[in-house]
Amino acid sequence: MITIINPSTDPCFNMAVEEYLIKELDSPEDIFMLWQNRPTVVVGRNQNTIEEINPAFIEQQGITVVRRLSGGGAVYHDQGNLNFTFVVNNSRDFANFEKFTLPVVDTLARLGVKAEYSGRNDITIQGRKFSGNAQYKHRHRLLHHGTILFDSDIEAMVQALNPSKAKITSKGIKSVRSRVTNISEHLPGSLSVAEFKRVLAEEILGPDYGQDRPLSPTELKRVQQLCCRKHASWDWAYGSSPPFNLRRTAAFSWGNIDIRLDIKRGMISACRIYGDYFARGDIRELEYHLVGTLYRQTEVRSCLEAISLQEYLPQMGYDEMIGLLFV
Amino acid sequence: MNIPADLLYTKDHEWIRVEGDQCHIGISDFAQSHLGDIVFVELPELDIEVGAGQAIGVIESVKAVATLFCPVGGTIVEINEELESSPELLNEDCYANWIAVVELNDKSELETLMEASAYSEFCRQAETGV
Repeated sequence: MITIINPSTDPCFNMAVEEYLIKELDSPEDIFMLWQNRPTVVVGRNQNTIEEINPAFIEQQGITVVRRLSGGGAVYHDQGNLNFTFVVNNSRDFANFEKFTLPVVDTLARLGVKAEYSGRNDITIQGRKFSGNAQYKHRHRLLHHGTILFDSDIEAMVQALNPSKAKITSKGIKSVRSRVTNISEHLPGSLSVAEFKRVLAEEILGPDYGQDRPLSPTELKRVQQLCCRKHASWDWAYGSSPPFNLRRTAAFSWGNIDIRLDIKRGMISACRIYGDYFARGDIRELEYHLVGTLYRQTEVRSCLEAISLQEYLPQMGYDEMIGLLFV
Repeated sequence: MNIPADLLYTKDHEWIRVEGDQCHIGISDFAQSHLGDIVFVELPELDIEVGAGQAIGVIESVKAVATLFCPVGGTIVEINEELESSPELLNEDCYANWIAVVELNDKSELETLMEASAYSEFCRQAETGV
């Protein structure tokens, strides 16, 4: 097993590294990587991003939002969290979560903490989750990755993963809330995340410990490409959500409004606006203009400005409308 | 393992049923049983041109996400939208519940696919490593 040294904490770059390792690196040897992200929300492959996040908190804290290749629910990463990735050629390890989580359980046992693999792809201590795991299969190669909460900011996690109560419906995968814990709370002595990382690497790699290499300049260039073209793009993190419907209603001094949007591939594909206000223009025109616009604040705002919102909703300000459409 | 004799198969565990210039494609019993409970299917886009082996969709189960590859080159002319609301149909009957219909560009591409007997042997090797 070869260990890839990846000191980057840029989540978009790190997602691109994983994609490179499974799809493009033709290695006869299995690959292992330990890595960390600066504060990030990582949504599952088939999740509707806006159903999973608290955009106000995320913007205020400068948290990055990325999508991963594997499935399941949204997770929060920061530098108190450690991620591990295996890329193996043997597709018989498919769905074998115990094999990949056992070294984590064993490492903790060595440190005096009793952890166990739970049926639902998690590793727990006293029934509380500290590690979520997922797999992604591409041809004969399999990627298994997991998170390990060592001393993450749980308060920030809870806030970042607390979506609005807007009425959104989609077929996307919903996150399951779990009671979580940090490993550091359970350790008999004190240990830094860097020390824990070394102990874990020794346990996982055994005699292969120290067989490591950084990405080559050519590989870095390719990863940068994947990062820019896909993982750092709005199209992937938000636009690749499954289709969803959004319904927003609000009461203003000038009347009530009820807006319904269908969003497919990140674009408004249908729009209806109802209300009991007086308007000069035909509201159908406004709906017509919104269809085909990306469901993204900057795009929707320029669409509204281009056609003059006041024609259709005389008393409504742009900020009010944006606030209603993006919660 | 159910491997119907009248279908063709790929190493990525997709099946192909040829009818004239069109073929239905889906995932095999091996694929669905290894994935476990399927919870989401991202269908291919309609009317797009695809090459053989190109990624056209994604299947998510409680265990993993797997890429769906197009076994043959052509145009996607139909998709089974029922799978969007009921992905579990792939577990219930993976051969009745096709994923897409592809209009073939080049029928000779079918020669690269496996017949049931060869695919059966391929699955046995994948399971046992022998």
